[in-house]
Amino acid sequence: MLTVEAFSLNIMIAALVPLLGAFTLLFLFIFEKRIDLLEKKTREIALERELQTALYNQLNQEIQPHFFFNTLNSILSLARLDRKTELIRSIETLSKLLKFKYQTNNTFITIDEEITYVNYYLEIQKIRFRDRLHYEFSIDPNVNQAITIPFIIQTFIENAFKHSFERYVGEAFLKTTIEKRDKDIHITVWNNAVEGAEELSRERGLGLVNITKRLELLFPDGKTSVQLINSDNGTSVLAIFPFILSSEI
Amino acid sequence: MKKNDYQLYISGAIKLGVSFGVVSLLARWVTGNTILSSPETLIKYGLIGGIGYSLVGALSSILFGFLAKKIRENHPGQHTIGDVLRQKLTPNGYWLMLTVLILTSFHSLFVQAMGAGILIQMIFPIPYFIGLLLFLTFCFFIGGAGGMQRLHQVAGVNVTLIFAAVIIIPVYFYIQEGVYPVYDGIKLYHPYLLYIKNTDAFWFIFTAIFVFFGQILIDRASWQRMFIIQKEKVQLTFTLTGLIWATIPLALSSLLMITIFGRSFENVYSLFSELVNRIQSSILIVLFVVFVFSSIASALSAELHATTTLFVKNIMEMFFTLTNDEKWKYTYLFSGAVCLCLLVIVSILTPSPLTLLFFTGNIYAAVISPILYIILSKGVLPFIVPFSSFIGAIGGYIFVTRTEDFKGIWLSFTISTVLCLLVLIYKTITRKNIKLL
Repeated sequence: MLTVEAFSLNIMIAALVPLLGAFTLLFLFIFEKRIDLLEKKTREIALERELQTALYNQLNQEIQPHFFFNTLNSILSLARLDRKTELIRSIETLSKLLKFKYQTNNTFITIDEEITYVNYYLEIQKIRFRDRLHYEFSIDPNVNQAITIPFIIQTFIENAFKHSFERYVGEAFLKTTIEKRDKDIHITVWNNAVEGAEELSRERGLGLVNITKRLELLFPDGKTSVQLINSDNGTSVLAIFPFILSSEI
Repeated sequence: MKKNDYQLYISGAIKLGVSFGVVSLLARWVTGNTILSSPETLIKYGLIGGIGYSLVGALSSILFGFLAKKIRENHPGQHTIGDVLRQKLTPNGYWLMLTVLILTSFHSLFVQAMGAGILIQMIFPIPYFIGLLLFLTFCFFIGGAGGMQRLHQVAGVNVTLIFAAVIIIPVYFYIQEGVYPVYDGIKLYHPYLLYIKNTDAFWFIFTAIFVFFGQILIDRASWQRMFIIQKEKVQLTFTLTGLIWATIPLALSSLLMITIFGRSFENVYSLFSELVNRIQSSILIVLFVVFVFSSIASALSAELHATTTLFVKNIMEMFFTLTNDEKWKYTYLFSGAVCLCLLVIVSILTPSPLTLLFFTGNIYAAVISPILYIILSKGVLPFIVPFSSFIGAIGGYIFVTRTEDFKGIWLSFTISTVLCLLVLIYKTITRKNIKLL
């Protein structure tokens, strides 16, 4: 049998808990939007900071005198050989490449935009490497409007040039695959193993830390990963992140 | 989105955050059942039963929150339970499950309307038919024709009234009467309410887990709300809804003790008219009456909206390609017809207290395992999975004629669970064999 004390306690709880429920709801109504806004702001700030670092790294790594002078020399040779159409095309591409690089301040872009940028870069590299360079893209048409972080594929491709194609002579094969698997996007950039190349995975792996961090920040609730896979016939980098269309943002 | 777009009727214009999500779910789940079952639970199973009823309700919502997160991840872009079932079941299985959903919807709508009928008869001096007609017309305009946006507007008012009533009235009474006289009165007239070692109450709580969880698992309105709550907030919303909901039957039980202490009563439903008679302040009488009718109206409107959506989107559209205007036309026709049927049925059957607790318990217990299997598995499931719920429910009903209610419910759950497990084992073995080959 319930004692009078226990009964009183029960009545007290029964009469007071709805008050607690009402206060919780009231608190949520007043502060939910503010908490959301704060979370969003914190994430945006972190993402922007990482993007700045990425931009800095990009500029440092890519617009290095080596790449720039080689490109200019290649363009100069086109002028000397009087190959006007190719000359105009290469200057135009270089201009677009630099424009994209300096103007991208967004924390995310579509895969379509990233591919356009990567194409400019590869066109320039094609002027430099000529018949040595062979590249191909395999892109699932459903992912074109999905979002990603800027310079993700660009960084992978640049790494391939920096650590493999530019250091060693021989044929350079590059293959980029972008596909949708379940609810994720898988980006793979593969380059062939060049004869005489040393194991540089550690050095390359360090360059991927920034990408991993930025993916985690852009997709805080999703599964993200960046892996460097070495095999006998080449090296590939695989990035996995959730499939989200730009229209859903 | 255009103003007359049918999608607006199904989902409303915005994604809900935690606060609006909780309000919308509370408006759905504080129903005539919650209000009318509270006295029944209290009288049948004592204070322990009343507390257990609240806790089990909370637990069911919390458990559904875990599943809701998974459903949202696995089925993006869906809007109703029917959409998910269509993806996961064969055509026969899909139609079987839709039949179960429609039947439980109609039963639930009928119980709400009957509850409203009983209360109108008890509380208002106006003719019973007129009262019910006004009530159902209101529900038609909110849930049937108004859509999700209108439901949300009413939900805010409804939840405010719920909290105003369940906070103010018990506090007012206990301050006026004091706890000691209530305790003494109950000890004298209804000592069974105070027994703690009440095994029946524990069996009741144990069985209620199956019934409540099954009920929320196939609740059309909860599924619809799950799809319009922001994805990352779905689980938190259901958890908070469960915890906040639990406070309401608790407060209602404490309120009912005021009515029964120191005297006997006719039947559990007469407690409400006695409560109204006992409330001295006219403001509190108005508050209590408005709270009761607003709760039943919002729950009935939410059910009506979900059932209409299920009918137009998951039944009509399977046979015909409907334009936007046609969808609206069928929505008005279907919800109007449902309201009319409810009016006729409830008017013909003189409102009489129903056995609310666990009346459809067998069906709810039997659907748990098949629905869990549907939610947690990958790929299309064979017909036997949804059919196991039918076998389980029938098995339980046959058994219930020979024995007490609870065992029938456990049996329904066991039959469908065993069948689903057999399918799972069979599928696992055959898949392994295929791999080995």
